[in-house]
Amino acid sequence: MTTLDIAWPQMAVLYGLCLLPWLLLGLTGLRLNKTVAISMVRMSVQLGLVGIYLKTLFNLNDPWLNSLWIILMLVVADVSILQRAGLKIRYFILCTFTAIAFSTLFATGYLVVLVIRPASYFDAHYIVPLAGMMLGNSLQGNVIALERFYSTLRKNDSEYLTFLLLGATRWEAVRPYFRMAITAAISPTLAGMATMGLVSLPGMMTGQILGGSEPWLAVKYQIAIMICIFASTTLACIINLKLSLKIAFNSYDVLKEEVMQTP
Amino acid sequence: MPVIIEFNQVTVITPPNKTILSGITFTLQTGAKVALCGKSGSGKSTVLKTLLGLHPLASGSVHFQGCPLNASTLATIRSQAAYIGQEPVLAADTVRSALLLPFQFKAQRSHAPSEAQINAVLERLHLPQTILEQECSRISGGEKQRIALARGLLLGKNLYLLDEVTSALDPESKQAVLKVFADPNLTVLSVTHDADWLAQCSRMLELAAGRIIMDTNKQTNHDHT
Repeated sequence: MTTLDIAWPQMAVLYGLCLLPWLLLGLTGLRLNKTVAISMVRMSVQLGLVGIYLKTLFNLNDPWLNSLWIILMLVVADVSILQRAGLKIRYFILCTFTAIAFSTLFATGYLVVLVIRPASYFDAHYIVPLAGMMLGNSLQGNVIALERFYSTLRKNDSEYLTFLLLGATRWEAVRPYFRMAITAAISPTLAGMATMGLVSLPGMMTGQILGGSEPWLAVKYQIAIMICIFASTTLACIINLKLSLKIAFNSYDVLKEEVMQTP
Repeated sequence: MPVIIEFNQVTVITPPNKTILSGITFTLQTGAKVALCGKSGSGKSTVLKTLLGLHPLASGSVHFQGCPLNASTLATIRSQAAYIGQEPVLAADTVRSALLLPFQFKAQRSHAPSEAQINAVLERLHLPQTILEQECSRISGGEKQRIALARGLLLGKNLYLLDEVTSALDPESKQAVLKVFADPNLTVLSVTHDADWLAQCSRMLELAAGRIIMDTNKQTNHDHT
């Protein structure tokens, strides 16, 4: 089975599907029309650019260029994580980069080298989309983990200090907030895994089936990617939070306010 | 008696540039009962928190048992001192869990108190044994203060940094607490306005705008103004 192309006129027809909800949003006075329009334009432009660079990357298929591209994705993801988590980039960039790079490369490498085993391990067709998927999920998880951890800690600073003054080490004192943050960060992945196939068909699997793959092949890839997303997200969150503890506290175990972004 | 705490010209400045302690100098000997007095915002609680490493020093020095304040000394202070605030955080669901909380930490894991020890401490503070199974969210402010004190006593601490701990106590409970801290082996540095508590203290330091303006003890009076 080959995938049917969507011709450009049909792409225009596709955007027509948004007209009815867009009109309804306007009629109900929700004032979301501008936001919807901006989101649509952004999605189209961003995916258009992705199409251009992926085509270029796949055509060139140069290991150095592929590696460079992954490093660039890592840096963009790290900056995005820290901005959204309310932490100052200059203090945490190194620990976030270390955690995300290690977990993403470890999970991607594991999948490519030990499971998929393509002719070339640096084949852009595999490493770029796979690393991108892991990175996207790690990004979400790390934003939740860092944001939840530091906001809960600041909200409960009296409790944290009580733990310290009762003889807890720094690690013992932050452990309740650490546990809470990691649980919140990996819960969406775990919930997704628990309901996958029952509530919805996963996007990647649907894409593969539409792309002409056999359903079993699509299922195997989906399982592989879910396991890798779970592994990379969990590893990244734990490593990132643990490393950040070295930076966020002074030698007296007091949270340094200067490392937080001012609201 | 040996000096346990020494503040020498301590100045603390908080961001952006607010001086909250200025040139604070005093010493505290083992077994002493010293009260810090003064209006709200005068810096009384800051003295306690500075000793606990919660405020960095802009200048001056703090010594504990002769050692300058650093990460290692702070670990010693935290292991020997109990800090109890005006609104203590019990950080547990039930009173029993709150009392046993410190014994979950590695440093104290092997020193968990027996039921008899818990009951004895409760009795000293005029607390009924039935309180053990109550939820912390349902007990009064005065009971919370005494549970926090009980936790310190169960840990066998010898130095108590107390911030208005009698503020929510009825007269009977207050007498029980006063009796506990009359123990000559316990060193107490307390923030208080309570006349009965002040009467029990051997020395009173009055603060205003982050400075000691009066240092009074039973033998001599020193006016710093």
